[in-house]
Amino acid sequence: MTEREKLMRQLAANDFAIVELHLFLNTHPNDNAAAAKLDEYSVIASKLRREYESKFGPISAMGRDSNRWAWISNPWPWDTSNEGDK
Amino acid sequence: MWVYEKKLEYPINIKCTNPKLAKMIISQYGGPDGELAASLRYLSQRFSMPYPELKAILTDIGTEELAHLEMIGTIVYQLTRNLTPEEIKKSGFDSYYIDHTTGIYPCSAAGVPFDAAYIQSKGDPITDLHENLAAEQKARSTYDNILRMCDDPDVCDPIKFLRAREIVHYQRFGEGLRILTDKLDSKNFYAFNPSFDKKCRDKNR
Repeated sequence: MTEREKLMRQLAANDFAIVELHLFLNTHPNDNAAAAKLDEYSVIASKLRREYESKFGPISAMGRDSNRWAWISNPWPWDTSNEGDK
Repeated sequence: MWVYEKKLEYPINIKCTNPKLAKMIISQYGGPDGELAASLRYLSQRFSMPYPELKAILTDIGTEELAHLEMIGTIVYQLTRNLTPEEIKKSGFDSYYIDHTTGIYPCSAAGVPFDAAYIQSKGDPITDLHENLAAEQKARSTYDNILRMCDDPDVCDPIKFLRAREIVHYQRFGEGLRILTDKLDSKNFYAFNPSFDKKCRDKNR
């Protein structure tokens, strides 16, 4: 696994925790423990995003560091690791 | 609005192609219980939802379904890379290949093109939430069927993730239905349509 893939996995796992908690809080809006967890993972998410985007280019079109070339460059999410990292 | 993120919700990296399996899995892209139907269903239904919790559930789950659509497209794409005409003929992928080559097209495993008749947006939140509970179970059964046909861990792993999400979404829709009925006339939930008969809703709340 490349360094990019490793960092992307960390980021995706952390983002998934956010998606799950966000959805849970829609029907449990008064669950303070879940809300605290969401805040905790959100802090980690912005840290991981900054690290990933500075090394491998923007994840979102709204990224602060809007490097056009890095946005269009491979890998795109559906690329396999051997073709994508070229 | 939506903002694209250049990432998958769950990692997919398939090493061995398998066009036969791809032809089954495409059903979760554009088939009757697939992710395209799921996202369109929830994102359309949310406009007539009466309570903020329900608007939030449908928006968030509808958005996640778009991420799942991308995952299924990725699986089918990676399963059909660099195929030879012999592999295509032998695997039974030929009937898909003739019309779509190895492009990703929303259709069922049997090749039936996507149809909006797969979904309903009834404008009655009780009816719509029941539709969604059924839809999540139908998608879960389809993933179970795919897992029975699949022995490649690179494919089974993301499919198991998607299957688990159906169960979580079912749970959240169930809670949404409970939140709704808690606000209705407990003697007869079906006395009126909480979206359409708004005066009735205010009186009874």
